[in-house]
Amino acid sequence: MGAVIERQELHDAAQKAFPADALKPNRDESWKLVTEMGWLMLSLAEDAGGLGLGRDSAAAIHYEMGKALGTAPLIPAMATVQAIGAATDLADQAGWIERVTTGEFVTTNLSAGDVTGDGDALSGTLPAVPDADMASHVMLANPGRAALVPLDAPGVTVTERPLWDESRRLFDVTLDGYVLDPALVMATGAAAEALTRRLKGEMIFALAADSLGGANTILDLTVEYLKTRKQFDRPLGMFQALQHRCADLKVLIGAAEALLWSRAMQPDATMAEIGGLKAHATEVYRWVCEEAIQLHGGVGLTEEMYCHLFMKRANLNVQLGGNADLWRELVGREALAAAE
Amino acid sequence: MSEQTDLDQLRSQVRAWLDANKPRDWRALSRTQDDFVKTQRDWFQKLVKAGYAIPHWPAKWPGGGRSLAEQKVIYEEIARADCPRLLLSFVSTYHAFATLHECGTPEQQDHYLPRILEGETWCQGFSEPNAGSDLASLKCKAERKGDVYVVNGQKIWSTMAQFADRCLLLVRTSSDGPKQAGITYLLMDMKSPGVTVRPIHQIQGDEEFAEIFLDNVEIPVSERVGEEGAGWAVANATLASERGLTLMELSYRMRGAAWRIAELIRKNGREEDAGVLRDFGKLVTQLDVATAIADQFLENRIKGIEGAGDASIVKNTYARALRDYSLLGLRLGGLDEQYVKPITFGDLNTGNWMADFMNSYAWTIAGGSDEVQRKIIAEKMLGMPKEPKGWVL
Repeated sequence: MGAVIERQELHDAAQKAFPADALKPNRDESWKLVTEMGWLMLSLAEDAGGLGLGRDSAAAIHYEMGKALGTAPLIPAMATVQAIGAATDLADQAGWIERVTTGEFVTTNLSAGDVTGDGDALSGTLPAVPDADMASHVMLANPGRAALVPLDAPGVTVTERPLWDESRRLFDVTLDGYVLDPALVMATGAAAEALTRRLKGEMIFALAADSLGGANTILDLTVEYLKTRKQFDRPLGMFQALQHRCADLKVLIGAAEALLWSRAMQPDATMAEIGGLKAHATEVYRWVCEEAIQLHGGVGLTEEMYCHLFMKRANLNVQLGGNADLWRELVGREALAAAE
Repeated sequence: MSEQTDLDQLRSQVRAWLDANKPRDWRALSRTQDDFVKTQRDWFQKLVKAGYAIPHWPAKWPGGGRSLAEQKVIYEEIARADCPRLLLSFVSTYHAFATLHECGTPEQQDHYLPRILEGETWCQGFSEPNAGSDLASLKCKAERKGDVYVVNGQKIWSTMAQFADRCLLLVRTSSDGPKQAGITYLLMDMKSPGVTVRPIHQIQGDEEFAEIFLDNVEIPVSERVGEEGAGWAVANATLASERGLTLMELSYRMRGAAWRIAELIRKNGREEDAGVLRDFGKLVTQLDVATAIADQFLENRIKGIEGAGDASIVKNTYARALRDYSLLGLRLGGLDEQYVKPITFGDLNTGNWMADFMNSYAWTIAGGSDEVQRKIIAEKMLGMPKEPKGWVL
């Protein structure tokens, strides 16, 4: 019961700070604001000095950021703060926690990389690293080892990859014989794997929440448009053919949200359960956006209209953190094993 | 916190009782309609005696006085134990009960409620051949003659009317004014002279519904519920009487039946077929979604929260998932599913995939079709403008 009230408070606070009628707010100002509001502390464990709130609280923030097409890199940030708080080997962990909860940004990759290396000299690329231009470090979560890599170190190159999605920025981080700093190793062995799983789970969950927030806004905007745009002497929204399509979208979003909030209250949810949710939520978002453009008609294809912003973000969300092909296969495999 | 402990205790009680008493072979004993009716009647009587049949009735009835949270626990356990759903007694324990409880006279309540517990079966005489989604346009006519109404007309889609003792009947007593205002609610003895019941042969070989023909049927005025002309209000007050329990129960059952698809995948040696695994994975998440929304709806009602259109989202989500579940089974089952196999009455996830597919239409058409739900969602939730009344060619 307490958790539900707290979640609603977070929704309200986030809506106030990032109203959905001011889409795609300035990133640097947003980052300052989220730091001031203490959101980076939300999911950090209590013994590490955070608020220790559950996944539902982080999801509430990501959901609201999705609604407003938020630009601050909260998805990697909230996950790396948690990971730093839970790191087993990190030297000066307390100092790190202090830094990353007060505005220093540690990013991480949202797509699988190919970093390999002998000993501590690493080479390869981490793709889809959000906002590396404002980050001090990238968290490298490799099987067997989790570590922080300074983005200005020798052997580290950061390259921006222009995106269709205008509300986000992604970079490739390339390592060429980069030598790990032992003081920046977060965990090794089984502890590193647990940390990696946790980091990934949080980000995938966040993408599901972001998607359903965004789907809500674009459906609301579409319905409002259909109520005002007139053809044949009546609002388009009076045509039942269009009403039914909007109703179907509402059903999809409403039902997907039920799974989002129920899984958010299930701390032991498996990767397959979170991934299945992510696949579903992002596909719902993508479909709502596809329909939104068609329901707007020609104006939906213009840059001045908002439809494309959501559509582009939705398509990116589908791919980040593994797409539906990946997660659905895993869900199927596990459900098959469970029915043995 | 203690409320939670009470619920946990109830859960263990129900679980223990079901372990000892649940019918284990009910599917095999439900291959014909008559056998199905018999298994339903036996199961209902067992549940009545155990105090789990009518948890939503007032406390003065055995097993009554349960909160919605407690009702949810009982239904969850019955679904998890894979016991038969109470289908034959559904209209009597929910619709007839709610109608009598909320709008009936004390005499009507004292007369009928004990009989329902003894197993009297009720059916609903609402839909007509020309009054489906537009129920208020019904035409079955009742004329008052002294102490009786003389009723003439036809009803259709009445669930298991061929086994019913009583009928909740909507009739037209006036054609003046708005169509809703001329409707009256009557309780009819199905053995009255002039009543003919004809089962409807459905495409899957089932006879779950029947038509009722009324030819000068005399119904005493004392069998009227509410005032003359108040029938529409009475019907609306009691239609939602099951409060989301059915869809929660059905979603749990469907989720619990995902193993039937897994069995097919194994039978056909498709365990490493990534495409099949993805389709299965997609379905499993869809079943989780259906369960989550049904659960959330009921949890919200327990807290007293319900928005216009919420129930429509639950219904359309379940109906779509049920159809998709049967379609995946049908596809994976291959040609084999095109050969006729025995059907199981009273279950929607039987593994007879053609029958399950055909049965799934019950949930996209009955109880307010998908299209009617979409209209409710568009108008009540999204605030989209109503279509103008009146039809101009």
